[in-house]
Amino acid sequence: MSNAFTISDEQQDYSQYDLNANPFPYSPVPNENPEIYCGQQHVSDKISSTVSSMLATGKSKHLVVTGKYGNGKSHTLKYTRSLLRDREDVVVGYVAQPGDGFLDIYHEFVYDLGFNRIQELAYEYLASVTRDVTDTNPMGAESMESLIDEGDVLLSDIVPEAIRRLSDVTKFADFARAIVHMVYEDTNLYAWQWLTAEGIRYEQRKEMEIHSALDDDTMGVRAFTAFKNMLLDLGYTGVFVFVDEFESIARLTPKNEQATLNSIRHLMDQNSSGLCILFGCAPEVWQDVMSEYHAFSERIGQEVSLRPLTSEHLYELVENYLDKERPSTVESRIRPFTEESLDLILQRSQGNVRQVLALCSRILDDAANENRQEITVDFVEEAI
Amino acid sequence: MLYRRRKLDLPHGKVQTPVLFPVRNIGKRSSDNTPAYVGTIPDFSTAMINARSIRNREPMWNRLTNGVTLREEMDVPEDTIVFADSGGFDFTAEEIDTTPAETLDTQAQLGADIYGTVDVPLSRENRAAENQRRIDQSVEYALEASDRHTGDALLFASVHGYDPETIRNSIQHLEKNGDFDGYALGSMVPIRTDYKKVTKLVLSARQATDKHLHVYGLGGIVYQPLLLYLGVDSFDSSAFIRSAGNRNYLIPGFGGEPLRNIESLDRLPCPCPVCGQRELDEIREDRTALTKHNLWALAIELRRFRYVVEAGRDVEEYLDLRFQGNEVTRRAYETAKQQVRRLT
Ligand SMILES: [Zn+2]
Repeated sequence: MSNAFTISDEQQDYSQYDLNANPFPYSPVPNENPEIYCGQQHVSDKISSTVSSMLATGKSKHLVVTGKYGNGKSHTLKYTRSLLRDREDVVVGYVAQPGDGFLDIYHEFVYDLGFNRIQELAYEYLASVTRDVTDTNPMGAESMESLIDEGDVLLSDIVPEAIRRLSDVTKFADFARAIVHMVYEDTNLYAWQWLTAEGIRYEQRKEMEIHSALDDDTMGVRAFTAFKNMLLDLGYTGVFVFVDEFESIARLTPKNEQATLNSIRHLMDQNSSGLCILFGCAPEVWQDVMSEYHAFSERIGQEVSLRPLTSEHLYELVENYLDKERPSTVESRIRPFTEESLDLILQRSQGNVRQVLALCSRILDDAANENRQEITVDFVEEAI
Repeated sequence: MLYRRRKLDLPHGKVQTPVLFPVRNIGKRSSDNTPAYVGTIPDFSTAMINARSIRNREPMWNRLTNGVTLREEMDVPEDTIVFADSGGFDFTAEEIDTTPAETLDTQAQLGADIYGTVDVPLSRENRAAENQRRIDQSVEYALEASDRHTGDALLFASVHGYDPETIRNSIQHLEKNGDFDGYALGSMVPIRTDYKKVTKLVLSARQATDKHLHVYGLGGIVYQPLLLYLGVDSFDSSAFIRSAGNRNYLIPGFGGEPLRNIESLDRLPCPCPVCGQRELDEIREDRTALTKHNLWALAIELRRFRYVVEAGRDVEEYLDLRFQGNEVTRRAYETAKQQVRRLT
């Protein structure tokens, strides 16, 4: 009898490398919430200054991060998002790619926030109205919900006022009604579908007294602006939108591409405060946008490019990853890798961060399996 | 199943719930008057009356304030249990012409056992903001009635809302800020054909309170078993009068059948004191007889349900049969079943 497979739930032993586990991501897909930023200083500086300026002054500011495929655009956006998400004074949405136009960007953005978050915002809005018109003092969504459940406030007392105010703030009564309908179990699914621009039947809209359909880019810009104005009214500093793979607009017809860019431009014009959009885009597409659509590129103005990884970057990156799983500091910071073996990995992956990390992960496993003390150039050569 | 049995201890006697309060249209056009049924149908020693319309009928109101009792005026025994609602349903088109204080006065003068608070009913055609205002107003009236109410009669707060949150929220609010013996759910009549919605709303009220729950206006032959299943403690109905007006013959399990559809038949299938002895043609010509039969049909419906429970039979199985004939009500019942199962 032979054992073709050895299946075990025992953890691989990495202790010979002073590691608790393999720190590298197994999959070359960017982590949703990266803990380590493997970007480059000039990029993180630029992002920091854009983001901080918006946070400090409230004035809108936008930035394009360019970089070739695999140089870490998504990783950069996701890392920035994960930093911002911890802040309570901003709302952050991630759009994986722009789709067929602005309405798709809007849809993805709302979808990324999610039903629960939108519902929470609806309760927050009711709370702000409740604080003003009753003697109760709900400080957030949760306490608002319990005031309603317990009957401490009367829904019929606060809802009309909430709709009135929110219509005032957003200049979009249908949007105000949809937000308020997020708290009613009978209609919250319809309200959500309307808010995400998925489209609902006329009767469902009628039940919420919503007159318009949210079904084109213009309405998308209007809804987005309404959403942001609601947040500012609630005391948020602003909204961050991360639009990844922006280069995919190049596959749209010239007319649709222009329409998409125009809508984004309108959005920026109508939101001079409280909005920060970070685009991830392939450099060649961004070049075209810059030269063909001045009106759009002028609004962004700022661009920063990710360069292919250098050896020095890579040593630092690998060290950062290894440190995550190191119980104590050791003398050789990149052990069991050597500078030479990392150089080879870098060369083979053509400076592509994702590939580098995936290779490091695999080679470290192989080395542990074979009880190699050190990952040499030869070993890498064999493994690749 | 949420069906429950309780006993109400009232100024004019005790009553077993769940129970139907047949509407007594005294003080309205005489052609709509309810034939005497108390004493002939033992299940119904109860009546629902409209406080406002009695007060607005001067000759009668004069008699009632000069020593004649309501029960004498109605020609029923003194131990008849009377539920006096405020007459809110009449306000839909008009301005409110009464106050909580005046309504309580009238209800006390009538010697009612149960008082319903003044309310401003909703309509599905209203704008949401208008309905919200009415809900708010009804809650305010109820709380005022609670402040002023004294005596042994029970006070039921009238509650309105076209979504579960509003109903739960209103009941919790009233529970917290007032003192009520029960709750009465209103504004269901305009949406009665939307069984699914009504079922949801009734359930949300049932969940919000363990106190007595009355549903205004839905005690007809189709709704009755559904409401019993949903744990409603009482309901009222004038369907037996209205149906008779349209020459509609009610029969449990079949709903209503226009008598003109039945051309020649000696005897109707019901063994009640009306149909048991008389031939169809006789009943066809006698609207009062038809009204009495229709009320018997409601009594039989209620008796059957109680019987199924007491005999330890499967109520859901009974209702599966009961509702299989009509696609709309069958679906409503299926929805109710799912919702009830989630709760029990
Ligand atoms: Zn009969």
